[in-house]
Amino acid sequence: MNSSPVLAVTLNTFREAVRDRILYNLVAFAVILIASAVLFGQISIGIEKIILINLGLSSISVFGLLIAIFLGINLVFKEIDKRSLYALLSKPVRRWQFLLGKFLGLNVTLLVNTIFMTAGFWAALYYLNRKFERQDQFIWVAIYFILLELSLVTAICLFFSCFSTPVLSAVFTFLLYIIGSFSADIRGFGELTHSAPLKALSTFVYYLVPNFSDFSVAAPVAHGKAVPGTLVLLNTIYTLCYASVLLVASMAVFSRKDLK
Amino acid sequence: MSRKVRAATVLAFVLAAWAASAAVQMRIDAEIAPYRNTSETLWIPSGKVLKRLSFGHEGLVADIYWTRAVQYYGGRRRDHKTDFSLLGPLLEITTDLDPHLMIAYKFGALFLSEAPPEGADQPEAAVRLIKKGIQANPDDWRMWHDLGFIYYWNLKDYSAAAAAYLEGSKNPKVHPWMKVMAATISQKGGNRETSRFLWTEVYQSTTDPSIRENALQHLNGLKALDDMEEIEKRVAAFHDQTGRWPQTLRELVTHGLLRGIPSDPEGFPYELGPDRKIKLHPKSKVELEEENEGTRS
Repeated sequence: MNSSPVLAVTLNTFREAVRDRILYNLVAFAVILIASAVLFGQISIGIEKIILINLGLSSISVFGLLIAIFLGINLVFKEIDKRSLYALLSKPVRRWQFLLGKFLGLNVTLLVNTIFMTAGFWAALYYLNRKFERQDQFIWVAIYFILLELSLVTAICLFFSCFSTPVLSAVFTFLLYIIGSFSADIRGFGELTHSAPLKALSTFVYYLVPNFSDFSVAAPVAHGKAVPGTLVLLNTIYTLCYASVLLVASMAVFSRKDLK
Repeated sequence: MSRKVRAATVLAFVLAAWAASAAVQMRIDAEIAPYRNTSETLWIPSGKVLKRLSFGHEGLVADIYWTRAVQYYGGRRRDHKTDFSLLGPLLEITTDLDPHLMIAYKFGALFLSEAPPEGADQPEAAVRLIKKGIQANPDDWRMWHDLGFIYYWNLKDYSAAAAAYLEGSKNPKVHPWMKVMAATISQKGGNRETSRFLWTEVYQSTTDPSIRENALQHLNGLKALDDMEEIEKRVAAFHDQTGRWPQTLRELVTHGLLRGIPSDPEGFPYELGPDRKIKLHPKSKVELEEENEGTRS
């Protein structure tokens, strides 16, 4: 596999993304929000650190999600709209390489953004406690899970942006995110019914939609509870598998897309 | 028009418009005040529903609800209101969202169980909250201590209190005093020393000023009871020595039975009542604990 075209598209996507001013606004807003957790803890009792961790991780996750969606929906559309895709595909770049590069480029962008937000978060945590504790190491696992979640959202965005407009892609991605957050309930509802077909359908939907609740470990981590290594491994494999499915589906759709 | 004049004009206009908007807002506040004084409501009373609506951020939503419970409790106390009807549901939602938020059980139970004006006077609800916490956090022996405390102090149910301390003492990580507490309460029921120990524990286990203040008030009340009991003994000694009752505490000082007029924990001097009982100074804010089984030495 010739990876240089993929690498070129990846770097180009990253460069293009970091030029976007809205990105800096979102990151700055997230950092301010994390810092405000220090003040928020003052109006409560005994949860200064817990609220900082919860608010920090939620900010990283929500702003990462916004960045992933707003950049992801334009990944393909913008290239077609600006007609830069034609120039690109006239070079020795295959369509799948273009898509893979776009996906990786956005993931790199999200990684860099998350690093900035995480730096703000750790600074706020240090400001609050003047030290780091042993159990704080589990926060890294929560941040890693956020990155996995964002990677999955990017893959969904990319998939929809291959055949839909940016607005519709955003709507579809957001709806799928909501459904994916409720997926455990979908199966739960099926188990409550006495209808075998309905139960089978709900189980099918449960495995079909991405299960975003798997990545939610902020609450236990805020209490200093460890996240099992098995869960880290399984979530990594799940993300790889699910994102691969979406990427391959995106490549299949995009390879048949009439670009004229 | 020069650039400076133009800039000054723009700035003046902006400031005037801002001042006008502030003046209008004050008028709006006055107009809208009657509508804002509606009773507080929980729009979503179910923690389980909120958990689903939080999209994986239930820890943060729990923190918000705990802060809301603290603000609600603090606001009711500040306004000298005795109706704490939303406190229980707020704590229920908080602990549904985050069953490991220990502070919500511990202090939530304290807010619920204390008698007005310090709390909601709902010790049974506090017991339910702590039992929920024990179920969600079986390894935390302190929850048994909190349960025993409510049975002991608020409900005066000493057998239940002793049972709670005994159950908690089975945890291998527990402090040895839990077992001692179980035995003491089982044998003696309520007594001032135990009460003092328990309130000292509350005082030392928090850095929150309002909870420390509440614990300190209870400790001051217990200290005042000790003092008054001791002074009454001296009054009786005076009677034994002179064959008459003293009219003032100054006479006890003159007779060498007191080194000076003793003061309560707030610094006000104790007074001798006409019934020969020691009283607090009228200006003293020390609250004496009820002289019942829970405070008797």
